[in-house]
Formats: sequence, structure tokens, C-alpha cells
Amino acid sequence: MRRTRFLAAICVLAALWFSGSARAGTPPDTLVVGVSSDIHLLDPAVSSDNYDWRQIYPCYDRLVKYKVVNGQGSTEVEPMAAESWQVSEDGRVWTFKIRKGIRFDDGTPLDARAVKFSFERVLKIGKGPADNLGAIQTVDVVDDYTVKITLKNPFGPFLQTLATDAASIVNPAVMKNEKGGDLAQGWLAQHTDGSGPFRLKEWIRGERCVLEAKPDYWGGAPRLKRVVIRFMRESSDRRMALERGDIDIAEGILIDQIPALEKNPDLVVRRYPSQLVEYVYLNCQKPPLDNPLVRQALNYAVDYKGIIDYVLQGNGVQMRGPIPKGMWGHKPEVFQYHRNVAKAKELLKKAGVSRLQLTLIYSERRPTWEQIATILQSNFADIGVNLKLQLMANPTLRDKIDRGDFELCLGAWSPDYADPSMFMNFWFDSNNWGLPGNRSFYKNEKVDALIRKALALSDQEARIRLYGDAQDIIMTDAPYIFLYQTQTIVPMRKNVKGYVYNPMLESMYNFESIYKQ
Amino acid sequence: MPSSTPRSGIDPMEWWRRFQEEHAWQLREFVFTLGLLRRNPSAVAGSCIIAAMVFLALAAPWIAPHDPIRISLSERLSSPSWHHLFGTDELGRDIFSRVLFGARISLRIGLLVVGIAGGLGTVLGAVAGYVGGKLDDAIMRCLDIVLSFPSLVLAMALAAALGPSLRNAIMAVAFVMIPKFARLVRGEALAVREKPFIAAAKVSGAGHGWIILHHVIPNCLSSVIVLGTLVVGETILIASSLSFIGLGAQPPTPEWGAMISVGRKFLMDQWWYATFPGCFILVTVIGFNIFGDALRDVLDPRIRR
Repeated sequence: MRRTRFLAAICVLAALWFSGSARAGTPPDTLVVGVSSDIHLLDPAVSSDNYDWRQIYPCYDRLVKYKVVNGQGSTEVEPMAAESWQVSEDGRVWTFKIRKGIRFDDGTPLDARAVKFSFERVLKIGKGPADNLGAIQTVDVVDDYTVKITLKNPFGPFLQTLATDAASIVNPAVMKNEKGGDLAQGWLAQHTDGSGPFRLKEWIRGERCVLEAKPDYWGGAPRLKRVVIRFMRESSDRRMALERGDIDIAEGILIDQIPALEKNPDLVVRRYPSQLVEYVYLNCQKPPLDNPLVRQALNYAVDYKGIIDYVLQGNGVQMRGPIPKGMWGHKPEVFQYHRNVAKAKELLKKAGVSRLQLTLIYSERRPTWEQIATILQSNFADIGVNLKLQLMANPTLRDKIDRGDFELCLGAWSPDYADPSMFMNFWFDSNNWGLPGNRSFYKNEKVDALIRKALALSDQEARIRLYGDAQDIIMTDAPYIFLYQTQTIVPMRKNVKGYVYNPMLESMYNFESIYKQ
Repeated sequence: MPSSTPRSGIDPMEWWRRFQEEHAWQLREFVFTLGLLRRNPSAVAGSCIIAAMVFLALAAPWIAPHDPIRISLSERLSSPSWHHLFGTDELGRDIFSRVLFGARISLRIGLLVVGIAGGLGTVLGAVAGYVGGKLDDAIMRCLDIVLSFPSLVLAMALAAALGPSLRNAIMAVAFVMIPKFARLVRGEALAVREKPFIAAAKVSGAGHGWIILHHVIPNCLSSVIVLGTLVVGETILIASSLSFIGLGAQPPTPEWGAMISVGRKFLMDQWWYATFPGCFILVTVIGFNIFGDALRDVLDPRIRR
């Protein structure tokens, strides 16, 4: 008797095991994306992290959106919540006609008031996203479905900034969740309230985030019913899950594992030239990093070629200046650091520092960071600098960056719109200290003047000249170590169709038009 | 020359002769124990493993073919070969050399932890057992609290609170190991306290401190040694676990647990990376455990003769 029961149990287990492996694959109406780290918060007026935007972006509508040309993302925009627009002769006053019939979940219509509320909220909160809308002076409601935006100065890429996550239109009714004058930041950090094709269904910290499609979306119901973002810390976990079919798209796979994925007939590995750069913030406010000679020495110590050839397996190029290749304003003749140990030692001696002890903080956000951190440690040891490595969770890391509570930190950045200000003004303007962009807490009045002047101009030639001059100063001041510009590699199941990559929307997906075959 | 004169006039040979005379019984016992150990196969196996590990650890700088922290990117992730016996890691470092140097770290952690925890635990346990009463209660209840947590969980919490570093990991593991020693020694001390020679010592005017130091603790020593041997194995395992989750040794330290932690990311394509440090943890911990078990059997008076 006992024996039969035991056998029966074995059979059941075996059946479960085989059925489990035979099932293989996620439901056809569900897209599962495996990503490396938990997200931080969901408020479009607060977050300046593409990994948060991945969830925020599909939950909201914006006045305009990036056009898709021949299945590829472009930097041109087309109407979304705005039907049409007009611009005044001097380029300062923009009038948008808003599409009628767009509603938020509670029935509130998306109208001029909602646009005004959303943009003013971003500007009032004044965190990172406010810089994307920094050109705006006033937003006025002309009538229910007409909004007039006045700029401080004519700004070339203004329309594109309206396609970024910061310009998401939020339901003004969120104000009923306001606490202590926080403009509902506390509530929106954990919830979404937009008119986009998706809404947040659940977010279990450290585990997953589920977006649910709205069948009555004004732009047509998404073909997916739900999108699950699974937080899986290990690159090899994500890879195995992808091969098994437990997830449909795997983000941040270690480059060493890509060749094996390319051999799997069930998968496609898509590669895109990106404008994503990775670099090291050197906190210019923390001695001895306040000394440009020390920062130059560190720049000279790094084995750029080794990192690119071996860690990236050649899937990247060394940055030359802050602006990546492919973005206008990139200056091909700007100074570039190369490994030169003797020079680095000499600079340290000149700076009068010896036995330097520094700490680098990093997270596992990008799969390569652990290796790069260890390489930096070894490279710095060659010039007599002892580098301590500190791994931490990504949200903790971002808090530390915002407070300037670090010496060195690994970072990644990608542009939201095709304008060099995305790099020059964000990274170097001393008004942008912390998460907004100037993460090395750098301040140089000359650079401030040059880049602010460049931002206010509309003449592209003049702007290139000003940004070029600023880049020369910056390379001498060396507030960052510019590592490389990468290729974005997205491995996915073969049955996932309709994915569109846009370098302006790095790590963000067009969930509304992705479908599974 | 005054600086090189010995502090006192004791001649080492003379001291050794007197020691032999005074401790003739103990020495006989020690030799007898060694004889028993030699006839116990698991004791022999265990001690061989431990001896091999100690040898590898001590000789690491001479027998390691490469610098354990030198990066050589062009050789990254190469499979085991004559040039790199255990292959290389993701930065081209020689895994064989790293594993050898890792033996130094793991053994040092084991010895330090047993030293600290064994020392503190023995003193606390002896005092509690000998003095008894309220002090006993106070000490033992505090230690019971520590003991009520699973040791790995408590060590993790402590190491996280102290900040990730090897030193803090050692302190955390030592802290959670103290009660093990204290409880053992207290039990023995309770028995020793009632022995006639303690009464005799008291009558001859010995103070409590002297009695604890010269009678109670020496009488517990054999049990402490057995426990110590067993704890070394457990310690190495916990310390590696802490390093595995990033709370112990920090890069580029070639610690076994830390190596496995990085190596697991490459496990599917580069099996050698996590495998070799894992094997070394396994073998070392087994070595200490079977040796400790054998030692316990051999020293147990009930099955001794």
C-alpha cells in the first residue's frame, strides 16, 4: 500500500515535471521582460531613470511621439494627444490643438487643463525631468482643447522634448492624493494615472511589475493583454529563462553569453547602434578629486582598449568627448585620454598626492560593471591608487548619486532627444548637480557660460562652436572618465514581433504595438 | 649585552624537564591519543586534508604560477590548460593561483574565528559555570538569544550592519560562534566545580580567578579543541557564504566564496570558474569535519578504552 502511494507520488511529480517543461513559453497575450534590477519610482515628474521610464512611458500619453519609419525609431515626432500645432514666427509661442475624446481611467477628459497641470507640476517639482521641459516659460489654457506654450527662448528640439517621458500627461485628479503639498509625488511614485495604452496593475518590490493593457485605448487596443517586467538579478538567470521560454525578452545579458544565444534557433538577437554611453563620475567636490590633476591622472590610468576589446568583445567604441558619435555636435578632434601610466604617475606627483585611497560605488544595473570596476581597481593600482569597490542596490546607488555621497561611481546615460544639450547641458551645468545630470558635481563658470549660451541659441553652427569650446575645457578639467559608447543588444524569442528600437528611448519598449505570433 | 639577556634565568631544557615531570600523566595521555588517532581512518584522512590545505596556504606565494590579482584581459575565460591549470576568470586571472591564495584567506578566517570565539566563549562559559547564580543566568540568557538565531542569518545581519569587509565578516562570524563554546565549557565547568581538587584549592587559599584559569579551563580544554576543529569547517562555510553575497571579502581578494559568486554568472559556458573554488571549500570543510568527529570519538572517555 505504502509502496503504491510512493509510486503514485513519483508519477505525479514526473508528470508535473514534464508538463512544466513541455508548456514552455508565456501566454500569447502576455509579454514577459526579464530585467536586471528593481525599479525606483513611477512619477514622470521625478524619475530620470530609463529603467523607470520603461514602465511609466506606456502608461501615459504625450502631446507628440517619436515617429516610426520603416520599422525603425526616428528622432522626428508626429501627433499623439495633440492633433496639430502651430508655432509663432519667432519660434517662442506654440499652440497645440488637443485630440478630443481621450479620457483618463476615472473619466476625466485629457484637455488643455491636464496638459497645463502636468507641465507645471514637473517644473514646480524641479527634479531631473524639469530639465527636459526647461525651455518652457508659461503654459496657458486657451480653451478646453487648445493649449498655448510660451518658451523663454526659441529652442530647436522643443517638439522632441514633448515626446520624452517628462512630458507625460498626468490626470489632474491625482491631486486628491496630495499629502503635505508634495503634488501627489508620494502617490505617483507607486501608482500610475495616465491615459496611455497601459496601466500599472501591480508592483511587487524585488520581484515583478505588471502592466495591464486598456482594451478601450483611444489609439486602438494593444494586442498584448499584459506586460510583466520580471526583476532577475543574474544575467545567467535571464539567459536561461529566455532559452526556456519563461521570458520573451532579456535585458542586459552579459556579452559573453550572446554568442550562445545567437545559436539558439528559437531566439533572435537584435543589435542596434545606440547613443548609450558608460562613464565614471568623479565627484569634483570631494578632495582629492577636487584637483583636476588627480582627475586627469585617473583618466590616464584606464585601459580603455582592454575594456572594449575584451569586456565588450568589441561591441563599443571609446568615447571621444562627451557627445557620442551619431549626435550632431560630436567633435572628432577633441582630446581623448589613452592609457599612459607614466604620465598618470607624473600628474599625481605634480598634484602632490600619494598613497591615494578612493572608493568606487556601482550596482549590477549593467552586466559589465562588475568587471569594469575590477579592471579600474587594477588599472588604478598601477598608478599607486588604491580603489575600494562597493557594490550596492541600484536605488541606493541613485540616492547616493543625488546626494553627492560618493567619490567615484559608474554610470550610463542615453539621450532623450537628438540634441547635444542632452549631454553638454545636463552633464556640466552646475545647476544640474546630482541625479538631473551633473553627477560629478562639476562647476566651471566658463563652461557654464558657454553651454548656457549655446542652449539659448538656435543657430546650429554657432551652437556647435560653443559646445566645441566647452568640450576642450572639459577634457582638461576631466570631471568624468569617458569610457565607451555601446551597441544595444536585445535578445528575444522569435515569436515576438513589432519591436521598435529608438536610441532616444533606450531600454523603453513600444509595448502597445508589440505582439506575439 | 643587557638587551639580549633573558628576562629570567629559566633554562629551556630545565623548563622542559620540569614540565615533563609535572605533567607526566597528561603527556602519556597525549601520546596515547595520537596513537588512537593514527588507527582511526577518518582522523587520518581529515588530518591529511588539513595538512595539505595548510601546506598549500603557506606555500602559495612559491607554488602559485601567477599573481592572483594580476589582470590579463587577453587570456580571459580560457579553459584549463597546462599554462592555467584551473583556467582563468573573466579578467584573465589564473584561477589556480587564486584558489591557492584563497586557501590562506579561508584558513586564516577559520583560525581567527575559532581563536576569538573559542577564547571569549571559554572564558564566559567557565565564569558562568564556576560562579553560577545570577551571573550564570545573565551570561547564559544573553548567549541563548544569540543562539536562538540561525548562525548564518545572524552573521549576515551583523556583517551587513558593520559594512561589507573581510574583517567585519570575521567579527560577525566570531560573534555568532561564541555561545557554542560558552555552553560547552559551562557544562564542563559545572561538573569541575564540584570536584574535590577545587575544594582543596579553595582551602589552600586560591582565588576564584586563579581557580578558573588553572583548574576549570584546563579541564575543559579537550572538548574545546574538538569543538574548535568542527567550528573551523562551519566558519569557512559561513564566511564563504558571506563573501558570496558580497558581505565578506571585497574584490580583488581571491576568496573562495567571492569567486563562486562571480563565477556562477559564467557557469553555463565556463564551468571551471565556480567549480574549482567550490571543490576547495567542499574538501576543506569535509576535512575539518571528519577530523573533528574522529577527535571527538577518540577523546570521549566512554568509548576511549
